[in-house]
Parts: sequence; C-alpha cells; structure tokens
Amino acid sequence: MSRDGIRSFSLSDFDVDGAVRESLSRLPGHTRAGFLRRAAGAGAAVAGGFALRPGTAGARAGGSSGDIGILNYALSLEYLQASFYTEAERMGALQGALAHQAQVVGAHERDHVKAFKAVLGSAAIKQPSFDFHGVTANPDAFRSTAVAFEDLATAAYKGQAPNIQSATYLAAALAVHSVEARHAAWIRRLAGFLPAAQAFDDPLDAPRVIDIVNSTHFVTLQAPDTSAGTSPGFTG
Amino acid sequence: MSQQGTLQDEQGSGGLVRLSRGALLSRSLVVLGAIGGSALGAADLAASSGSQSGSGPSPARDQEILNLALLMARLQAAFYADALRAGRLTGESHQYADVVGKQEQAHVQYLAAALGPAANQSPRFHFGDATSDPTRFIATAVSLETTSLEVYNGQAVNLTPTTLAAAARIVSVEARHAAWARALAGQDPAPAAVDVPISVNQAKSVIAPFIG
Repeated sequence: MSRDGIRSFSLSDFDVDGAVRESLSRLPGHTRAGFLRRAAGAGAAVAGGFALRPGTAGARAGGSSGDIGILNYALSLEYLQASFYTEAERMGALQGALAHQAQVVGAHERDHVKAFKAVLGSAAIKQPSFDFHGVTANPDAFRSTAVAFEDLATAAYKGQAPNIQSATYLAAALAVHSVEARHAAWIRRLAGFLPAAQAFDDPLDAPRVIDIVNSTHFVTLQAPDTSAGTSPGFTG
Repeated sequence: MSQQGTLQDEQGSGGLVRLSRGALLSRSLVVLGAIGGSALGAADLAASSGSQSGSGPSPARDQEILNLALLMARLQAAFYADALRAGRLTGESHQYADVVGKQEQAHVQYLAAALGPAANQSPRFHFGDATSDPTRFIATAVSLETTSLEVYNGQAVNLTPTTLAAAARIVSVEARHAAWARALAGQDPAPAAVDVPISVNQAKSVIAPFIG
C-alpha cells in the first residue's frame, strides 16, 4: 500500500523538479494521518492572517498563539526526521559516509525536538507513531528519503519564517532552518545530486507540506491523547 | 573554521548577559537552554546592532541589510570568478566554484534589482592566493559562505516580513554552499544542530581583508 507513496516521496526532489512537487501536492490526503494538522492548522491560520502584511514592523516582540502553532508544526517535522534517523541507526544497514551522516544529522534532529519541546512546554504536541516501511533498512531508499525530508524541512521552515511574530522564536527557527539546508546539501551530495541545485530555495506552505508528508504513509497514528485509544479518527 | 570558533566564543556570553534584561526573560532562557544560546544571540545581536535606526524592521533598515547582503554576494561572485580564472581548481572543487559562482551572481543581480538606486557601489576585491591555491580556496569558501549565512541569520529579525521571505530564499542556499565547501574540506557539512548567528561587524571583519 505504501510502496507508491514511498517511491513518490523519494523522488520528490524539490529543488530541481517542480513538476514532481506539483504532482505530490495533488495526491489525496491520507486522513488517518492527522499528524501535523493540529499544529499546522494554527500555522496556516497565521499565514492567512499575517503573511507578508506590510506594517507589522514593530510586532515582533513576544510570542503569540500563532507562534505556538508554528513551533508545533516545526516540532512535528522534527519528530518525523528524528525518528527516521534514529530508526536507521538502530537498523544498522547503513555504512561508511551514509552511516556517519545518519548519526550526526540524527543527533541534530533529536536536539531540535528537545529544543522545541522545551520551548513549548505543556503546549507541545506529542510524538505520533511512525512506520517507515523498511526505508530505514535499505541504504538506497534511506538516502533518497533523507534527501526529500531535508529539502522538505528547509522549504517548510522558510514558508513559516515571515509569519513568526516573536524575534526570539524567529531567530531560533532560522538557526534551525539553515542547518536543515546544510543537511539537505550533505545528503544530496551523498546521493549524487548537486548540494545546491539552484540559486534560490523556494518555500512550501503548510498545507502542501502536510499533503506531502501524508502521501508517504509514514505517519501511522497521531499520538494518543489520554482518551484517544486507537481510533484513527483524528479530529483535532 | 578556527575563525568560526572564535566568533562563536565571542558571542556565547555576550548574548546571554544582554538579553537577561529583556522582557522576554523566561521564555528566552528556555530557548537559550534548548537551542544552545545561538538563537538568543541572534535576537540580541539584531536588537543591539541597529538601535540607531529605531527598534524594529523598517524599509530603511531593509535597505541597509540588503546592501550588506549585496556586498557579500558581490564578494563571493568575484571570489569564484577569480578562482576559475586562476585555473588551479580541478574535479569537484572546480564544479563547486562554477555552480556556486553562478548562484552568487544570481544573488547579486537579484539584490541589486531589489535595491534599485539604493544599491551601493561595489568596492574592488582582491583575493591573493585564496583563489590560486586550491586548499586556501576551499578554506576561504567555507569562511565566506558560513559568514554569509550567519549574518543573514543574525539580521533576519530586523527585516520586514516581505524582505525576510526573500532573504530566506537566499540564506538556505548560502547554507548549502557552506555545507558543500565543508565537505570538500573534509569536514562534516553540518557541524552543529544550530547555526550561530553573527553581527554585522563580525561579518565585516571577516571580509575586510578582501576589500580595497
């Protein structure tokens, strides 16, 4: 079931092939994976409300509820990546430069998770369950999925940066954003792609990012709330 | 590389001390603890470095920052062009200079167009053996690309949202360049979980030897 999703996702080379991105964005959403929706809902609302509005010059002072949504959205992406690299390390199928990349980058992504969780405190969303469908045990599949994840994360952070109201949170998000770009360059080189394929990196908005993540079927269950049980019907 | 270490060291404690006076103390400290102080440093650097033009982003401030970005892009474009002319690069280093040089040239054109008549004149650059010695070339590329992304990160909080969105399309490309150059230097492309921002003055001190 998930094979097509994985293959499509692996091929989603955002930097060089807008056509793939387009087709990915048209894939039907995977409703069982409500992951990201709650977090991104807030981010998207902010995007609609504030995006690129001139005259918000002095607004970056404290955090806002929109910022919390964006930070949770970031946390969701970091959960996804951290779990991916952690599992890949545990599977032990990677060797040499690829194993080293997974180890170093995985540690960064886990640090990002810790950081956003610490900042969000009790407002942090919980980690969902993931099923990477064997991608983490296959070096070729790992490599191309990692390329897609890192380019996706770079584009996702870029899409939210102008919406962040708090200067502190903006600085934090940007300090992570450029590291995601470094990760992308790193794994692209190991995959035989140009580390920097074009002069300008495009942003992706939250709905597109969510569509792409859902299309992979990597997210199997939203983190259970205390009462959620195993119901797939996520409504948050 | 050693330069980077120095910059990080300079910044760690300074950022902490100054922001502790801010109204966002408690949250900032959480961010500081969580992200290793660098994010906090960025907000603080930004707040302190532009105080003469008032607090918060403005079109005038956008121009100032974009002019610095233009200077960095011009410097890098000239650096790569000079290295290619010198003809000592081979293999992936040559490919790097060719690909990245074109991208820096695209940044120059974009930033110059965005600034229009507000764009500063370009100074003259000279690179000595940084463009003729392949080892020096890669080390200098790492330094320039890293400086570029770090000063973007430091100044981003001073930009208006529209300009920030545009700058963000460039900063991640600079980060990719820095990562690629580090790989060519035999280093991990991403040495830390966060990129420590630097101030305008720190960036200017890095590029000063190549100007004039």
